[in-house]
Amino acid sequence: MFNRTKLFVGVSLLSSMVVLASASAAFAQSGSSKDRWLHVRVINSDHKGEIVRVNIPLELAENVLPTISKERLHNGKVNIDQAHMNDVDLHALLNAIRTAKDGEYVTVQSSDQDVRVAKEGGRLLVHVKDNKSSKSNKSDVDIKIPMHVIDALFSAGKDELDLVAGLHALALQGDTELVSVKSEDSTVRVWMDSKNSSDN
Amino acid sequence: MLLAKIALGLASTVAFAAVYTFREGVIRVDVDEFRAGGSHVHLWVPAAAVPIALHCTPRNHLENAAVKIQPWIPTIRQLAKELEKYPEANLVEVVDGTDHVQIRTHAGKLQIDVHEPGESVHVAVPIATLEDISSQLTENIPGA
Repeated sequence: MFNRTKLFVGVSLLSSMVVLASASAAFAQSGSSKDRWLHVRVINSDHKGEIVRVNIPLELAENVLPTISKERLHNGKVNIDQAHMNDVDLHALLNAIRTAKDGEYVTVQSSDQDVRVAKEGGRLLVHVKDNKSSKSNKSDVDIKIPMHVIDALFSAGKDELDLVAGLHALALQGDTELVSVKSEDSTVRVWMDSKNSSDN
Repeated sequence: MLLAKIALGLASTVAFAAVYTFREGVIRVDVDEFRAGGSHVHLWVPAAAVPIALHCTPRNHLENAAVKIQPWIPTIRQLAKELEKYPEANLVEVVDGTDHVQIRTHAGKLQIDVHEPGESVHVAVPIATLEDISSQLTENIPGA
């Protein structure tokens, strides 16, 4: 009888350990995957000092986006209304940029704004600097998009932006800053790395 | 001796129930209003009880809920599946003066915390439970 009781207690303990061990194993496995994270940080320097931080795993976005079907977004693709493109053939434009050599494409320097559009190291760079006299209107915008991400975005067809393909292409990229906006009253930063927090 | 057997049986059942509940997690809802006469709601529900509760819910109520949420069920299911891969992550955080909103995963749960002067809300749901709920709602979509 005593042996059966001991056996029963032993089996109970063993079952509990197996349950806990499997939970721990699942936890450890999820922590070791090579994750890429898209971070968005907005800091308002007004009196309330609003801060918004968004950290999204790229893989999560890639897998969840195709399930959303709302307005222009279907199957991870956004429909672009050609009527609002002012008859600009985006595909032809992108093709021209893709095949062109690195260099500055647009440089505008005026008293109001400096604008620079360039292709450099496989990335499309857009820099807009606001020179307006009012201090609160001054802003500095930097956009750096890898060309292969742009290619992936426009890979779906003429009237669609393939967000999932864009995210997939972005995930292959190393740590990179995508968007930076600095103005007197706010800073916005969009970047990608392998950290799950936006501390830096 | 018989009493010892019964006690051992009861203790084992309680131990197994505790392990099962611990494994499935607990849904926690805390709402506190920090003012005179403000309400304080603290709700702890074993996640293991949710599928049972859904089975006991009148079918027409479940069908109604399922129809309303139907377009988002695939998203919720996929989101739950994906979130399980990230048991510790700060997904969204908004700090606006004294207001603070945070959506994160912690210890395998999806947590939503809202703190504002005079009120705080804390909701924690095991991620696996979200998947269970979406599966059960899918089964209750009329004609599915």
